[in-house]
Amino acid sequence: MMESILVTIPFGDMIHYLSGYTGVLFGFAAVFVLLAVISLPEKPVEIVFGTDGYSLKETPLNLARFQRFMAIACGIATIGAIVTGDIFNFTLFAAFIGVLNIGIVAAVKNKHVLSAAFSYGLVVMMGTVPLFAGAAIIAATTGTLSIWELAATGGVPVIAKLLLLIGVLGEGMAPFYIGKAEITRASGAPYILMIHVSSLLLFLRVVEILLTV
Amino acid sequence: MIEFFADMDIIYKIGLAVAFIAIITAFSAVVRERDEISLLIIIDLIEITGLVVIALLATDLAEALILPGLVVGVAEIMAVSELWLVKEGLQNVRPVRRLDIEVLHTAPPIIGALLTAYGIFLTGFTGGLIAGLGLALFFLGKSTTENFLSSENASGYAWVLWVLAFLIFILFPSQWFLALMAAAVGIMIKVMAKIALVGTMRGDGS
Repeated sequence: MMESILVTIPFGDMIHYLSGYTGVLFGFAAVFVLLAVISLPEKPVEIVFGTDGYSLKETPLNLARFQRFMAIACGIATIGAIVTGDIFNFTLFAAFIGVLNIGIVAAVKNKHVLSAAFSYGLVVMMGTVPLFAGAAIIAATTGTLSIWELAATGGVPVIAKLLLLIGVLGEGMAPFYIGKAEITRASGAPYILMIHVSSLLLFLRVVEILLTV
Repeated sequence: MIEFFADMDIIYKIGLAVAFIAIITAFSAVVRERDEISLLIIIDLIEITGLVVIALLATDLAEALILPGLVVGVAEIMAVSELWLVKEGLQNVRPVRRLDIEVLHTAPPIIGALLTAYGIFLTGFTGGLIAGLGLALFFLGKSTTENFLSSENASGYAWVLWVLAFLIFILFPSQWFLALMAAAVGIMIKVMAKIALVGTMRGDGS
């Protein structure tokens, strides 16, 4: 995987890099950040049952602004998780994405959505344990956290890789909980997309890391 | 798994085994618990077991990794507990009586101003603490209807200043004096704002 490196940003022994693969992920995340910046909130349409009438639900401006901020921050955290060359930074970005996803969902004041966001919050908090444990075990066995050096030396224990994967599974669980917000047609349509984008890209990146180290 | 444990220090092996027993115990508690707020607290305990695994590194690096881990954990529990309060509708804010004696009308502005001026003169963490004590004293003499949001904003900007100072340290090492001063002022405002918040706490008045 380390043959196709396009760009490197060295910070001491932590070399952040973009390969052809992560470059594509980076571009994807950047496009969705731009979309979150320029798009206006969707107005959900509610059909009046049994008639031809319908009503447009207006999204309050402060709710839209909060969700847009959270979505942009989530996109930037995703870009960070894609670019970073340090396993511990990757776990921190993953945990950060989890917190921001809670923020995007929890802005909607709807009992069902809030309880789904609460359950997701509990999963995110549990997910940090295997994430940090995996990174710590990698540091303890190999003596480094730099993906660049781990790619050269190898020797990452399988259990650490598994823990890292379980942790990302926990953080990237958001799309399973977000269903409540989408089914109840809660407002915040273009910004909720960022939850799907971030967890998808997080999975794709952790696969790249696990294959590289 | 076997070869992983073979080339490790015996103490690390024992520590890892204890940590994993703690993790498994905590996770089994999550499976059995039904009450939501107890669940939240148990999961906060679980995060501590994750920090234990990091602490087993037993080097300076462990400290550098525990701090961000702890910060992430605190951020998560704050977000989720706030969410729980909104979900359960427990966010009613009741008006609070303040201690109405004469010395709280006259003394806090004078002593507060002196402490704040001295703290700004000192700068850095200590200066922030002293100036913050001054502000806390000043706020104690005020009613809680005032808008304290601005001090939180100042704290946020101070944080940005602090991070910028670190970027200057890394990118332009020749400008270290500017970075040092920016970091000192940033940390002073940040600590000051945090300590000053203590002065705004009055309990729930019940």
